Amino acid sequence: MSIGLHHFLFVSLLVFLCGLFTVLTRRNAIGVLMGVELILNSANINYIAFSRYGGGGYDGQVFSVFVIMLAAAEAAIGLAIVLGIYRQFETIDVEATDTLRG
Amino acid sequence: MEPSALGNVASLAYSLPEIVLGAAVVLLFLLDLVVTRKETLGDVALVTLALVVVLSARLLWGDSAALYNGAVVVDGFALFFKLLLALAAFATVWMSLGSREIQKNGTGEYWAVLLASTLGLLFMASSTNLLMAYLALEFVSLTSYVLSGFMRHSRRASEASLKYLIYGGVASGTMIYGMSWVYGLAGSLDFRAIHTALMSGQGAALPLYVALLLTLAGLGYKVAAFPFHMWAPDVYQGAPIPVTAFLAVGSKAAGFALMIRFFFTAMAQSVGAGVYQLVGGVDWSQLILVLSMVTMTFGNLAAVAQQGNVKRLLAYSSIAHAGYMLMGFAVLNDDGLRAMLFYLTVYYLMNLGAFVVVMLVANSTGREDLAGYRGLAWRGGALPAVAMAIFLFSLTGLPPLAGFVGKFYLFAAVVEKQLYLLAVVGVLNSVVSLVYYARIVRTMFLEQPTGGEGVVAVDWHNGLLLGLLTIGTLVLGVAWGPLIDFAGRSTHFLAY
Amino acid sequence: MNPYIALLISFALCAIVAGIMCGASWLLGPKVENKAKSEIFETGNPPLGSIRGIRFPVKFYLTAILFVVFDIEVVFMYPWAVVFRRLGWMGLGEMAVFVAVLAVGLAYVWRVGALEWD
Repeated sequence: MSIGLHHFLFVSLLVFLCGLFTVLTRRNAIGVLMGVELILNSANINYIAFSRYGGGGYDGQVFSVFVIMLAAAEAAIGLAIVLGIYRQFETIDVEATDTLRG
Repeated sequence: MEPSALGNVASLAYSLPEIVLGAAVVLLFLLDLVVTRKETLGDVALVTLALVVVLSARLLWGDSAALYNGAVVVDGFALFFKLLLALAAFATVWMSLGSREIQKNGTGEYWAVLLASTLGLLFMASSTNLLMAYLALEFVSLTSYVLSGFMRHSRRASEASLKYLIYGGVASGTMIYGMSWVYGLAGSLDFRAIHTALMSGQGAALPLYVALLLTLAGLGYKVAAFPFHMWAPDVYQGAPIPVTAFLAVGSKAAGFALMIRFFFTAMAQSVGAGVYQLVGGVDWSQLILVLSMVTMTFGNLAAVAQQGNVKRLLAYSSIAHAGYMLMGFAVLNDDGLRAMLFYLTVYYLMNLGAFVVVMLVANSTGREDLAGYRGLAWRGGALPAVAMAIFLFSLTGLPPLAGFVGKFYLFAAVVEKQLYLLAVVGVLNSVVSLVYYARIVRTMFLEQPTGGEGVVAVDWHNGLLLGLLTIGTLVLGVAWGPLIDFAGRSTHFLAY
Repeated sequence: MNPYIALLISFALCAIVAGIMCGASWLLGPKVENKAKSEIFETGNPPLGSIRGIRFPVKFYLTAILFVVFDIEVVFMYPWAVVFRRLGWMGLGEMAVFVAVLAVGLAYVWRVGALEWD
């Protein structure tokens, strides 16, 4: 047995599920954003693995480079928004911010 | 004989709208540093978008072409959406220039970010590659987060942008995870190559189905379809009104454009006479059909229960309309697509119009709740009240307004495909929607103002936009021929 | 025989040894709780409040974020540098446009004062 495509896919699935779990259970906005990062990185593992073992050529690697860049941009904007929330609400608990109601 | 994709230099001639828009974004950031009167920047943005509309329209007479080695295309379908999206951005800038919320927080970067978002929308309408699609979509998302939180000192705007960010991050993350599976199963990021791979039987049906479901999360989030709609009410309510209008019209239309192109060119096969067939053994049209029914029913029922904020009510109404438009998607033929394109245009007019009225009321009285509309017609706001009634009845789908024609074509396509259940659910939903649309109209006309609501004044700037949108809604209700022809001609994808 | 089996065995051994060490000290060691022992150790001084109350000024965060955003763009230059010769002047021109746009961003950040420390 050697390390092949399936191992990578399994790891990425685990990371994806961890990310999803984090997103669904965290109440802290920063924690949720960290979960999103996990999800993005699980996709990255997939792209690299498919690029290496599948017939996809370099496309997958290029994709993951762009995902890394966008993750940084999203983190920057996300943290700026969270900072704004902290200034307004004095907390970053996503459930405590509930001015908007039906 | 298949024409191949153009290289980077040869493509530039076809991407003038995007080049102008991109240059304008950079220019606006630089101007912001030197110009002190910030409305000037708004004027620059308005002129730029007018130029983008003209440049996109000019391409209608040119050839279709695949650009940048197959990353994006210029074809009838893309140009239809580019025109629609540029017009949506144009109207948004116009609204922003007359919006008190925006002017009060007047900083220059608003205009640059708005144009950047429009640039992303244009690329969403034309991308033919998963990477390009993801980049365009994420570009729109990131700029929209900033736009919706633009009123920095407002609690509800900050909260809106936080919710948009969190839902958006999860949705787009899930989408690229799904896309990675599509890439792995089909061996390519290119829509056409994915299509070829699926046609040759590559890729097992079950993983592909799961991958599509995950991908749909990101797309469904942009159009605010049912399980991915949660952000819409909060964000619509919290964001500044012009931004809400932009999200409701622009980003929804671009989401549909990307969704249609991906599903119809990569996941379906044209079998002639404008009919498509599924490939890869995944019955996504059944899935869309169910999504459509659930989305419209949820949107309408939630809107009926919504008594307070009018922007929030319009958010639920926009969810319901995403459901109506998905009907045209599920029938898998050119008639359905044509009806969808037509409805999107009509939706642009009437929904934007409704938001202009909301903005007028908020400008004068600072109120967005239904009680703030009490007796609107009898306290200076006769013109907006009449216009609002026209827009709302058009949204319901009553003749002789544009919304009726739009719904007629949608239902005709559904009935022709013998999807009777979908048609019945659609009609029932339209009846339900009358309840809450008529409630606003009744509040505006039949209830007497109690005196505390304040006088609503209409300035020429906003009045002109309102007038144009009203005329559009009325004219398309009786003379829809040219537009439906144009929509019909725009349902062709370039098979490069 | 799989070459990774050795690695797996090594991991397992680590876990077992660490488990035995921690478990044994927990089982065998005497447990005396008193106030002085549960206090935070600050080289003999009584502790001053909670660690959770300490906040970093927002300037650190702002600078760090701006750094990350500009820093990550270099990621695009590596693949570009690898195929630089094949791209020729065209590639140089494209990268020049990219860097120019970044420069505009930096100039904007600079002028609006986001880089000021005081």
